[in-house]
Amino acid sequence: MPVRSGSRRAWRVALLSVCALTLVACGGPPQPATSEPAAGGAGVTETNCGIPVTVPGPPERIYALYQPAIETVHALGLTDRLVGTAFLDARVLDGYAEAQSRVPYLPELPTREALLAANPDFVVAGYNGVFAAGGTEAISTRAELAGLGVRTWISGPLCPSGDGRSDEAIDPASVSMETVYGDLRGLGRVLGVPDRAEQLVTDLRTGVEAVRERVAGKPSPRVAILLDDDDGSYRVASGIDFGSRVLEMAGATNAFGDLAGRRHVAVGKEEVIARNPDVILTSTCCDASYTVADGAADVARIRGDPALSGSTAVREGKVFPFLFADRAAGIRAPAAAERVASLVHPR
Amino acid sequence: MASLAVLTGAAVLSLKVGGRPLSWAQLHDGLLGLSGTSSDIVVRHVRLPRTLAGLLAGCCLGLAGAIAQGLTRNPLAGPGTLGVNAGAAGAIIAGISLFGVGSLSGYVWFGLVGGALAAVAVYAVGGAGRDGATPVKLAMAGAAVSALILSATSAVVLLDRELFVRYRFWVIGSLARADLATVAQAVPFAVAGVVLAVVLVRRLDAVALGEDTGRSLGARPGATRVTGLVAVVALAGTATAVAGPVAFVGLVAPHAVRALAATAHRWVLPLSALLAAGLVLLADVAGRVVIAPEEVQIGVMAAIVGGPVFLHLVRVRRVAAL
Repeated sequence: MPVRSGSRRAWRVALLSVCALTLVACGGPPQPATSEPAAGGAGVTETNCGIPVTVPGPPERIYALYQPAIETVHALGLTDRLVGTAFLDARVLDGYAEAQSRVPYLPELPTREALLAANPDFVVAGYNGVFAAGGTEAISTRAELAGLGVRTWISGPLCPSGDGRSDEAIDPASVSMETVYGDLRGLGRVLGVPDRAEQLVTDLRTGVEAVRERVAGKPSPRVAILLDDDDGSYRVASGIDFGSRVLEMAGATNAFGDLAGRRHVAVGKEEVIARNPDVILTSTCCDASYTVADGAADVARIRGDPALSGSTAVREGKVFPFLFADRAAGIRAPAAAERVASLVHPR
Repeated sequence: MASLAVLTGAAVLSLKVGGRPLSWAQLHDGLLGLSGTSSDIVVRHVRLPRTLAGLLAGCCLGLAGAIAQGLTRNPLAGPGTLGVNAGAAGAIIAGISLFGVGSLSGYVWFGLVGGALAAVAVYAVGGAGRDGATPVKLAMAGAAVSALILSATSAVVLLDRELFVRYRFWVIGSLARADLATVAQAVPFAVAGVVLAVVLVRRLDAVALGEDTGRSLGARPGATRVTGLVAVVALAGTATAVAGPVAFVGLVAPHAVRALAATAHRWVLPLSALLAAGLVLLADVAGRVVIAPEEVQIGVMAAIVGGPVFLHLVRVRRVAAL
């Protein structure tokens, strides 16, 4: 099952001259730094992943890459400012289906040319790979885009330690719901909608608290989030994947939570057998039409694997479909935690 | 003898070593008992299939490599030289993208057919001209046909991200996917390949003497080449079906046998099979432990383990002439 890696190589340096024609505001004097949530967002600077992001005014042409970023922009009420969206892992949350149908959408990541052709002044990414210096998803580093007058933002819990880096450089301590809240507030200020962002944070807190209260004091089952690959091996979501936090909010623990270093770790079947998780969740991914029902095939493959036939999860029928999108750090977290809670602590 | 010892050792290691250590008693119970404990399941559903798949794929790769080298009289030949790997890869990509084939058992058939078609094409191209399919022309035709198919395959794969991801898992070569059903399915093809190999033993020795000498000894080079190609397709196709196109093993094993033990094909063929199987199993075992609990695919390990060995052979010994 493919998850965010592929053949689509970004267009490289040759396009710089085209960029110069399509863009304005290159190399103006730096705006005075201020973190005051000024009304209208004029001259705001926020730090995102250690990089100062200064906007001269509220960005008007936003390009959102990946599910969390796309849904966040809708949630902030900025649908009309979206000039492009790309790469959904699953169907957008119910409340945003109509909004999403009104904006341009690419099922694959755009090339650098396609991204710049949409003439965005702000690119928000739900995953760090697009700003990596290399790799299958790289489009452009944040510094390169800043040089072209395009401001950028990465969902906070996926911050790499430096521009151009990716998953290998995530600080595990930053993978938390608090980071999501701080990230939303910063993004809200930059986009000129601080109140809306604050309200969103309050709503998310309320949602998460409701789930936490419901599962408080219950025994915490060990859950594995499995991606079954074409070569018969498995990859699991590690401790630095936000999925671990979703499990914890739902009163469960990640059976592979001690693994770190990468979000997905390829483990042998023996390791899955040895750790014998109580519950297995799939990580069904990568089509804008997917709902949790589309995980049935993944569930069937895991259940049909003779190597896992003796495991607690398979014997007790606790292999459930789950969406990759619901492992993401962002506004889906309360609903995702609620779904996990309903599976591991049924009412 | 040494080959057999290497193979036995490798097979035992393959059963014993893994993500979690197993005692001899657990291993014994897993193979013979039916208690259904987790160690039994590890032995029965993970290690035994992997070991058998490695044995089968390794033997096939070694034999295919030895036959391909004998046939083309080229010590650097392998199934890839005759276009079989490229053909199999191309057909599998066509299977995935055009017919929506999704399972490994489906890949098997596309791989075999694609490998066979490519071999036929190689033979047709290499056989053109007055003196027929000489070893040099076969190798050249193989390189040309491979390049053609692989460039077309790359073009298709690179344009489709999802296809690329699936292709990547297939093309790297791994025993992690092994299950007893696939192994059982592949056995008849392997047996057919072995039978053809037995038929070929003497003829390959005649080919090694050169076209004219061979002919004067009563060998029929044309028939030998056709039989050889069929054998290579069956053997390489079987190995590919079970483990993916594992690089390097089919090249190194027969070469090592020729350099270290014997050059007569009645020795080269069986020893290559044994040595290659040992290599595949060792590569798989190494892949399980180097970065545990993660695993490294056998295709990667085979190149890492086999590469230095091969360089060593080339440097210390003269390249065994064919």
